Amino acid sequence: MSKSCFLRIVTFLLCLALGWQFWKGILALEPTQIIIGPAAHYIESAAEETGATNIVAAILFDYRALDTLGEASVIYTSVCGIAMLFAKSKFKISSTGLSFIVKRGVSFIIPFLLLYAAGIVLMGHISPGGGFQGGAVFATATILFCIVYGSGFEAVMIKPKTKELIESSGALMFVLIGFVGLWTGAGFLANIAAGYPKGEVGRFLSGGSIPLLNIAVGMKVSAGLSTIFYSMIKLLEFEVTKHPGVKNK
Amino acid sequence: MTIITLSHGTAIILFCIGLYTIISKRNLFKTVIGLSLMESSVLLLIVAAGFVQGGRPPILPIEGIAVNPLPHAFTLTAIVIGASDLALALAFVIKLHQRYKTVDLDKIRGLRG
Repeated sequence: MSKSCFLRIVTFLLCLALGWQFWKGILALEPTQIIIGPAAHYIESAAEETGATNIVAAILFDYRALDTLGEASVIYTSVCGIAMLFAKSKFKISSTGLSFIVKRGVSFIIPFLLLYAAGIVLMGHISPGGGFQGGAVFATATILFCIVYGSGFEAVMIKPKTKELIESSGALMFVLIGFVGLWTGAGFLANIAAGYPKGEVGRFLSGGSIPLLNIAVGMKVSAGLSTIFYSMIKLLEFEVTKHPGVKNK
Repeated sequence: MTIITLSHGTAIILFCIGLYTIISKRNLFKTVIGLSLMESSVLLLIVAAGFVQGGRPPILPIEGIAVNPLPHAFTLTAIVIGASDLALALAFVIKLHQRYKTVDLDKIRGLRG
């Protein structure tokens, strides 16, 4: 028996033992009957305190909005890192995309996809959804563009500079909405206490700053994810064009 | 066996597969895949931990009792962080491949184990 095979078996047994211990712990858990702690308060009073029907959105963008800001800055940092790592690779020539039938079909789908994404972002405070999910759907639309029509077409239609601008303005918008609360003396990222109109609970125009924050996060996430994809596909095609089928490197 | 025990069990199995992948595989892409698997398992565990028996989704108006909305909010942020982490890790792997022309960890270190 070789050394690597022995190590592999030891690792397998270790993972199995760890899993068995976890399983014993899970079996000792008792099913939850009631909610205690801050979550109970959120469910009780989210409607009158924030005006949002979706309690998860109320937690994300009102009670714990500072966490969301930190989380958005994590995406920003990672996008900056990826763009910096691949900064030197220039975009030479793009793929031509898929066949004519696929291009026609996707051109019918794209408007509905964008509408769906906008719906998810804008209705985030009254139904399941929000900035993160809608932004991911927006990014999916641009990725579909890139695959079906070729990445050069995508780079012409939505310039990387424009994406950068959208992402930065999303981050800036988030912080400025927070500063309104600081200005009125209610604290950073305060919602109703900062003077945002609460509106009627359950209607489209409600929830104070939550829809605005949803839009900001949607801009950030969509531009960030599509920048990540674009940086990687750019690198891939750059390598292909640098050594087109040559294996002597 | 309730459905919630089943999801806990799934999370444990996924976690162990991810851990085994990270420890035993030398290919960097496979290591990143193992990291992603472990992250998904933890998210599944967190969401399952917020379940209340007979609970409804936490969207008003709630008929009856609602599930705990806090794990949902945490998971939502953790998913996006995980995705950007994964992208950054893959970018580093691509950079290493450009530098060393391999993604094998032992060859990069100059060791044959």
